[in-house]
Amino acid sequence: MQFERAVRALRDAEVEFVIIGGVAATFHGSASVTFDLDICYSREATNLSRLAKALAPFHPRLRGIPDHLPFIWDAGTLRNGSLFTLTTDIGDIDLLGEVTGLGGYGEVKAMAIDVKAYGGSVSALNLRGLIQAKRAAGRPKDLLVLPELESLLEAEEP
Amino acid sequence: MSELRALTPEEFARAEQRLRNPAPGSRIEAAKEFGIDLTLLIEQLRLTPAERAQKLQLASQGLEPLRGIARRQPR
Repeated sequence: MQFERAVRALRDAEVEFVIIGGVAATFHGSASVTFDLDICYSREATNLSRLAKALAPFHPRLRGIPDHLPFIWDAGTLRNGSLFTLTTDIGDIDLLGEVTGLGGYGEVKAMAIDVKAYGGSVSALNLRGLIQAKRAAGRPKDLLVLPELESLLEAEEP
Repeated sequence: MSELRALTPEEFARAEQRLRNPAPGSRIEAAKEFGIDLTLLIEQLRLTPAERAQKLQLASQGLEPLRGIARRQPR
């Protein structure tokens, strides 16, 4: 996964997004390795157009769907859904219009922190938000990372 | 919006102490018993957020071929 290339493309296109999931956990000190980029994005019409344009050069397709089935990548497709699990030329990217346990982009943005990485500034979910989301998601893969995230929170408390 | 920064030397020393010597009943102790390698967290906390991201990029690229092999294994 080319994380930097994906983040730069989104940032250059002025997409409103917050990095969540494994990459956000890494920013906070997680030692787990992730292979995809998860973002929560604003569902505003302008943002959907920007998002569609930003990722178009990487030829997004729905993950797990046979290549011969038609898939149109544009703002209209984004308007008709909220959660998109994509495979692209630069790796897997998951787009979430809302995050379980947190809410939509506005709520997620309110729990975001500014991170200097990938050649600029990027918003990422804070550690408490990550823990809250993982706990709410409640899937085995989410619960597995909780002890690590909670340790980081406890280690960094004043 | 506040900024995620690298830990100051004092903050790092405190975090390292907590991770090397977990307090009884703490979440860190629970994580250790769960099997989390706390020394890896200490190494991560030495780095800036940007350095952590760079390290993830390298680890992800290095492991990606193995991930592909695992996916192709018959069950």
